[in-house]
Amino acid sequence: MHEFLTDLLSGVLGGYLYPFILEGMLLTIQLAVFSLFIALALGLLGATAKLSSNRIARLVAGTYTTLIRGVPDIVLMFIIFFGGQLLVNVIGDKLGLDYIEISEFTAGVTTIGFIFGAYMAETFRGAILAVPRGEIEAGYAYGMTSFQVFRRITFPACVRHAIPGFGNNWLVLAKTTALVSVIGLEDMVFRATQAGGSLRQPFTFLFVVAILYLVITAVSDGGLRWMEKRYSAGVRRA
Amino acid sequence: MPEQVSDAPYALEVDNIHKSFGSVEVLKGISLAADDHDVISILGSSGSGKSTFLRCINLLETPTSGSVRVKGELIEMKQLRNGQIVPSDRKQVDRIRSRLAMVFQQFNLWSHMTVMENVCEAPVHVLKIPKKEVQEHAESVLHRVGLFDRKDYYPAHLSGGQQQRAAIARALAMNPDLMLFDEPTSALDPELVGEVLRVMRGLAEDGTTMLVVTHEMGFAREVSNRVMFLHQGRVEEDGVPAEVFNNPKSERFKDFLSGNLK
Repeated sequence: MHEFLTDLLSGVLGGYLYPFILEGMLLTIQLAVFSLFIALALGLLGATAKLSSNRIARLVAGTYTTLIRGVPDIVLMFIIFFGGQLLVNVIGDKLGLDYIEISEFTAGVTTIGFIFGAYMAETFRGAILAVPRGEIEAGYAYGMTSFQVFRRITFPACVRHAIPGFGNNWLVLAKTTALVSVIGLEDMVFRATQAGGSLRQPFTFLFVVAILYLVITAVSDGGLRWMEKRYSAGVRRA
Repeated sequence: MPEQVSDAPYALEVDNIHKSFGSVEVLKGISLAADDHDVISILGSSGSGKSTFLRCINLLETPTSGSVRVKGELIEMKQLRNGQIVPSDRKQVDRIRSRLAMVFQQFNLWSHMTVMENVCEAPVHVLKIPKKEVQEHAESVLHRVGLFDRKDYYPAHLSGGQQQRAAIARALAMNPDLMLFDEPTSALDPELVGEVLRVMRGLAEDGTTMLVVTHEMGFAREVSNRVMFLHQGRVEEDGVPAEVFNNPKSERFKDFLSGNLK
């Protein structure tokens, strides 16, 4: 069965679809998923910092979201990829370490995660603000620590409010991974343009890529709907 | 109120609490001592400071000055360099809060949890009691408030009266030393008030120590063994219900009663 499938796939589109482009798709998905984890972590951290009573935390988080959301992704990509490489080695030099090579993949994931962390921070901030104050207060009144209140009440209650914004961010993030070709990563867009070029069929391959992105986003949509349902338990539907 | 017969500490002892919000002084020195099994109703018109007073007891509001003792244990406070008063020991505050269960005007049930989960949450995660033990106890308190058949419902699918009874069950599940009720029937439709008051009356009869901020004169008169009337941040009247309601000393309380008992 597996052999049959691979034979079939490698026969399509002049042999370029499998493995050439589908490998690129795998890279796209890996980039997106890893970046998402970074974005989620930074987003949660950013949102809590923005809502904290600590002025310094608010300032740092505020600067982060303003700066990142105000500069084009591609500019940030270059700055973080090249600048990050420099920075790491300046620090490495001081510590007496050998030259450290940051892989394109690491740089890509970090950059995209860093960018989308800022958008996620805003999404989570809004979602946390939507949790009724009284429910949080009840947590404290029953002796919970701030961490317990966040972990047991604020976070699970805010997920429902965060899902629409989170879904938006995720879809844009998945598509933003196409930018990594500028730092030399061979994602599916990169590979499709190559294949299209060598077969002189650019549009065929662009359509293929478009469809592959649609597959990713359609699957995501299903997952998001499932999440929304799961976290809306106990919500009265109008 | 019975005399303090032994050396046993008061269930709750509040001494000379002051509270200001900015330049507005909401509480101007309020003291209260409650024995075990006391049911004390706190009355007052809106803005009299009665809810703030209740919230100062479990430190949802930090008093500007004054002290709170629960079962003899003083909640330690300290002053920051900017003059702000804060509790010195968060852990102590958390521990004391877990012994003073609060019931809120707006119920404040956790909306993403079922009734059963709401009731088990704090005993499991704050008191660290094994889940199985908590569940058995939770079932018994749900029976007590008449909500056992609704245990798997989410708060949004319950009436206001049922939500408030669930909130009372959540409080009971903590086996608290003292229960604080913050206008528990004020957000309810009139026809739902009765079911909540019946549950509270049952608790009082079982000897639960309760502090109840309320507008329910019937409850204050018949169920509580002591009534306190606050006006503009001061205690205007304090005593046994029969005494206070039949021979009010303060003019303000007379006005309040004539407004309320038409």
